[in-house]
Amino acid sequence: MAQFFPKSANNVAKITMILGVVLAVTAFYAYTQLARSSYLTGRYVEKQQPVQFSHKHHTGDDGIDCRYCHTTVETTASAGMPSTETCMTCHSQIWSDSPYLEPVRASYRDNTPIEWERVHDLPEYTYFNHSIHIAKGIGCSTCHGEIDNMPSVYQENTLQMEWCLSCHREPEKFIRPKSEIYNMRWKDSDLSTEARVQLKQEYKIRSRDMLTSCSVCHR
Amino acid sequence: MLKNNPASPRRTIFLVGLFVMAIVASGCGVRFDMQDQPRYKAYKKSDFFADGRASRDMVEGTVARGLLKEDKAFYTGKIDNPDPNAQAQSSTDASGNTVVTSFPNAIDEFPIPVTKELIDRGEERYKINCIVCHGPVGAGDGMIVRRGFVRPPSYHDDRLRNAPVGHFFDVISNGWGRMTGQKAMIPVADRWAIVAYIRTLQASQNPEQIMRMNSGAQPAATVTPAPAASPAGRPNGGAN
Ligand code: HEC
Ligand code: HEC
Ligand code: HEC
Ligand code: HEC
Ligand code: HEC
Ligand code: HEC
Repeated sequence: MAQFFPKSANNVAKITMILGVVLAVTAFYAYTQLARSSYLTGRYVEKQQPVQFSHKHHTGDDGIDCRYCHTTVETTASAGMPSTETCMTCHSQIWSDSPYLEPVRASYRDNTPIEWERVHDLPEYTYFNHSIHIAKGIGCSTCHGEIDNMPSVYQENTLQMEWCLSCHREPEKFIRPKSEIYNMRWKDSDLSTEARVQLKQEYKIRSRDMLTSCSVCHR
Repeated sequence: MLKNNPASPRRTIFLVGLFVMAIVASGCGVRFDMQDQPRYKAYKKSDFFADGRASRDMVEGTVARGLLKEDKAFYTGKIDNPDPNAQAQSSTDASGNTVVTSFPNAIDEFPIPVTKELIDRGEERYKINCIVCHGPVGAGDGMIVRRGFVRPPSYHDDRLRNAPVGHFFDVISNGWGRMTGQKAMIPVADRWAIVAYIRTLQASQNPEQIMRMNSGAQPAATVTPAPAASPAGRPNGGAN
């Protein structure tokens, strides 16, 4: 230690300086962990919604396709939220006097929209588009998790830039056949690595350099 | 040994500087004007419009360039009947309900070419929008019916087998009895695709019709071109 500390430095000074370095490293580590924590990214946090709508009932138990409600997920940037009329295709007849559905009926009566709390919310300086991901074989569950098991939707991934990039760098790790997009039980191991690389070529997915270029998401 | 110096003015300036920087930095942390920019994204809330929706409906009567709905048959499944006095006929079924049996204005020819792609598209869309109530082959035994929804009629009774394609299109668009219309959820071309698929389903459940089709003796009134693409994928259907 003599190289670092002059002879005159006493132990207190030595320990303080070493502690300082340790503290700085710990603080930096703590910062990186905090930045990725559910506290700051909103991961796994369930929101109080105006109606206790359950994906587990509607998609898991009743088998309603995602596109019955999220009609524009294949064609536009936004997945689309169901209008009150969509709920009323069924709830005009079933559970039509359930107290849990009163906000839906009120919305239908008064022609006012139901105000859902956003669960996934990217900052507005980023650009995200559902249609391209669906068209290139990325399934809902890769990003949203097993929605059909969630009585109340929560965010499965951090939605941070590093998460987007982890896939944009090597989409072949997550890609699946288009017929499996809406399969919530799909696992990446269901398809061999070669088959996934093959799919990547078939879907004409661009190079890593192009997909990680800043202007893809910040435009 | 380190000797203590009396507090120097430099140090005071440094400390004050640090304090100012801390305030500025914490200020940065709570600014969200890049996260939530003053522009509208889909479904964003608006303080400007009375109903709070940033996504506006089109002003009634607006026609987007190239989207004039001139083709009445395509957009409504109906034509103006040459006989203005034609009335829909109805009868009473076993349980005492009134059922409409004739559809004077509905077209009975698909307004777009029926191809294999159209039927495949129809199958996909049927499985999204209709299967929950009408069931996989259209028998009216979907999951939601099992959960208590009114049971829809089977597509395989004579009345619906003989109903013109325009009627099916109209039901999807504007609803029928206790089924609500789904115009807002299903684009026009997809509605025709679904109708083509329903025709395929009907043929698939009706061996007689497949036989008639194969022998070439098609009664024009009941069979529309849709089932011509054999549902079983075999050129000779199920005839032999
Ligand atoms: C019966 C209609 C319906 C169906 C079917 C449906 N959803 Fe939803 N979805 C909703 C409603 C209503 C909300 C808003 C309430 C909420 O967040 O729970 C929602 C919210 C979501 C959200 C969160 C949106 C946000 O605020 O960030 C995701 C993700 C989602 N749905 C995915 C899916 C997936 C995946 C499927 C298919 C497995 C599906 N949904 C099927 C109606 C539906
Ligand atoms: C395709 C038919 C269908 C559609 C569309 C639909 N639901 Fe449902 N909903 C059901 C069924 C069936 C149940 C009963 C769930 C079960 O027990 O499996 C149900 C149950 C519910 C319940 C619980 C009611 C209670 O008393 O427990 C709520 C709340 C609800 N739905 C809200 C909605 C909302 C909000 C929408 C629109 C986004 C919607 N539903 C659209 C079929 C539907
Ligand atoms: C590549 C990842 C990814 C895939 C795949 C994906 N989503 Fe999303 N989804 C997101 C992100 C990110 C958001 C937040 C968008 C925002 O805040 O603008 C989101 C938001 C949503 C929303 C809220 C409404 C909106 O559009 O902002 C719904 C509903 C939704 N997704 C449903 C689906 C469904 C259904 C599928 C499958 C067909 C799907 N998503 C596939 C990443 C994905
Ligand atoms: C699981 C994999 C995956 C994840 C996660 C993912 N993406 Fe993608 N993304 C893709 C693929 C695959 C493409 C299609 C690339 C192509 O067509 O060459 C794509 C394309 C895009 C495009 C269109 C590119 C263009 O030039 O038009 C945008 C924008 C985009 N992604 C944004 C995002 C954002 C923002 C996130 C994070 C919130 C994200 N993506 C997360 C796989 C992913
Ligand atoms: C695949 C999409 C994607 C690409 C490519 C991408 N970003 Fe991002 N970026 C995001 C997302 C999503 C966020 C929001 C992260 C969050 O909410 O924490 C973000 C956030 C940022 C932020 C703000 C970070 C913060 O914590 O406030 C900066 C700065 C940034 N990106 C710079 C870049 C630069 C520089 C590049 C090119 C080298 C780039 N990004 C490429 C998706 C992307
Ligand atoms: C929420 C359940 C539900 C959904 C979803 C649904 N239907 Fe129906 N449908 C019904 C019910 C109930 C009836 C019987 C209505 C009556 O007679 O009161 C019906 C009747 C019909 C009829 C017969 C009309 C007649 O002349 O008697 C047709 C054709 C039809 N539906 C087609 C469709 C198609 C095509 C779709 C998909 C785009 C669809 N339905 C979606 C519940 C549904």
